Amino acid sequence: MASSRDDFIIAIRSAFLKKSTKQKFSLLTLAFLSILIIILSGINFKPINKIKILINEIVYRSSFIVSIPENLIVNSYFGIKRYSNFFKDYKDNKKELENLKSKNISSKIIISENDELKNLIEDYTLSTNKILAKVIVDHKSSFLRSIIINKGSSEGIEIGTNIYDKNYLVGRIIEVNYKSSRVLLLSDLNSNLPISITPGSVQAIVVGSGKNSGKIKYIKDNLIGDIEDQSIAYTSGTGAIFKSGIPVGKIINDKNKFLIDFFSDFDQLKYVFVEIKNKKEANNQTKTESNNLRNKAISTTELIKLDLLNDQVKILDESNSRFIRENQLLKSTIDELNNKIFVSQGEAEDKKKKTIQNDIDKKELEFLKLNLIYSSKCLRTVFKKGYKVGTPEYKECILRKGKKSND
Amino acid sequence: MIRFEKQNYIYKIYTWLPIIVLFVSVLNEFDLNYLNIDYFSFNFPFILIFYFTLKEYNKFDYLLVFATGLINDTVIGLPLGISSLSYILVCIFASYLRNITIRPHLIKDWFYFLFVISLINSINYSILFLFFSYDLDIMFYIINNLLTFLLYIPSSFFLNYYIKAIND
Repeated sequence: MASSRDDFIIAIRSAFLKKSTKQKFSLLTLAFLSILIIILSGINFKPINKIKILINEIVYRSSFIVSIPENLIVNSYFGIKRYSNFFKDYKDNKKELENLKSKNISSKIIISENDELKNLIEDYTLSTNKILAKVIVDHKSSFLRSIIINKGSSEGIEIGTNIYDKNYLVGRIIEVNYKSSRVLLLSDLNSNLPISITPGSVQAIVVGSGKNSGKIKYIKDNLIGDIEDQSIAYTSGTGAIFKSGIPVGKIINDKNKFLIDFFSDFDQLKYVFVEIKNKKEANNQTKTESNNLRNKAISTTELIKLDLLNDQVKILDESNSRFIRENQLLKSTIDELNNKIFVSQGEAEDKKKKTIQNDIDKKELEFLKLNLIYSSKCLRTVFKKGYKVGTPEYKECILRKGKKSND
Repeated sequence: MIRFEKQNYIYKIYTWLPIIVLFVSVLNEFDLNYLNIDYFSFNFPFILIFYFTLKEYNKFDYLLVFATGLINDTVIGLPLGISSLSYILVCIFASYLRNITIRPHLIKDWFYFLFVISLINSINYSILFLFFSYDLDIMFYIINNLLTFLLYIPSSFFLNYYIKAIND
């Protein structure tokens, strides 16, 4: 019993610790080193990440070179296969091209309408620039579906950058090196893509299945009825990881289980388009522009305010001077009027005097008229008792037309 | 039978062939994915490492095995060190089997290989799922495990020829 345990311990020790001929490290040391690397890469230890980037750059290039013979064989096989179907494909393509041409016109109209609507709702319209990237490593492991492309941070690629095959979405960047990047394909089990299914505008999330199709998940039960077979799925833009409105695939109803058949064939990717967002630059530009505009706006507002104040002062001055002028005018008018009044008063006085004189004259004339008639009656003579000419009694007598007073 | 002059340049390359093939296999991934067969995959490095560790092949340096693990992680996109640990564990188990075996037997080795790769794939799956929150399809692991197990016998048949050629 003891000897078998000893044998086991000896075997374990020799397996773990004994360095075989020409072995530089024991297996135990290497196992510990592996565990240490796993832990350090798990906690995002910076030196490990830098080493990883360095290894990535070397390994991706080496992998591309090593894969050349295999790719050559595979490509030749597919090339021969394609040639055998060449004429049939040509006919089909011609038909499809005609259909697409007509569709292209309507889609152009829709795009312009969409832009207008986006502007209306003040949604951001990113100025994007698609660059062509070559797929250098396309070794889909059994567990992870990803590809390596020959563009990296030097071209402005960052984590989350969208990748296209023609106009179809194929995935997003999950790892960036200086001259290469890893793209997580939509078919990967770790890929989650928010989509909108049309017709019906049903919102859902597509999860990769590890094959060339995706599973539709996280959809409300009452909305399942709205989904039709062969419906089109495009990105909804929810979460701002993927841009909205990018075609993804067609819906397939497989025994009441909805799958999505991606438009792009992920196994045949040779070149992809990387969408470099100019948002950052645009942001910086916008920032400086907005600062300038703000400064301008501030200075403009102040200038406007000053102008307004100056205008107000001018208006006040003008109105002031106008008032002064009007005042002076009024003063002179008053003076004139006063003069007129004075003159009028004088005239009135004269007229009054004249009227009085007139009245007096009238009375005198009446008296003289009556005097001519009745003077014989009122005049005192030797024979007659009367009044002396020129006395008030005589005048009264004349005015009484010679009649005697009752007193 | 192929015979080499011991100081020949080609002979030297031939002796290093297992490690070269190991490097090429991790860089190129002999997974035949273009055949588009569902779940069809196998782990060729496991077969190579297990076989040559079991045979105690002197050119099969553990440090280089460790390095291929790092390369494999980089190519596949796994956290750094996962494949290295897997490969080193294969080496440890193979080395242990070599030490406890007096009369080697292919079938025994074969089933021991199944146990080893099942255990290592389980560890692999657990680490990725628990510590790195990877969504993984266990069916892929099971089928990969089975195919690797099934391919061990034909592979060892060819590799025996290689060893014979070296020894001769």
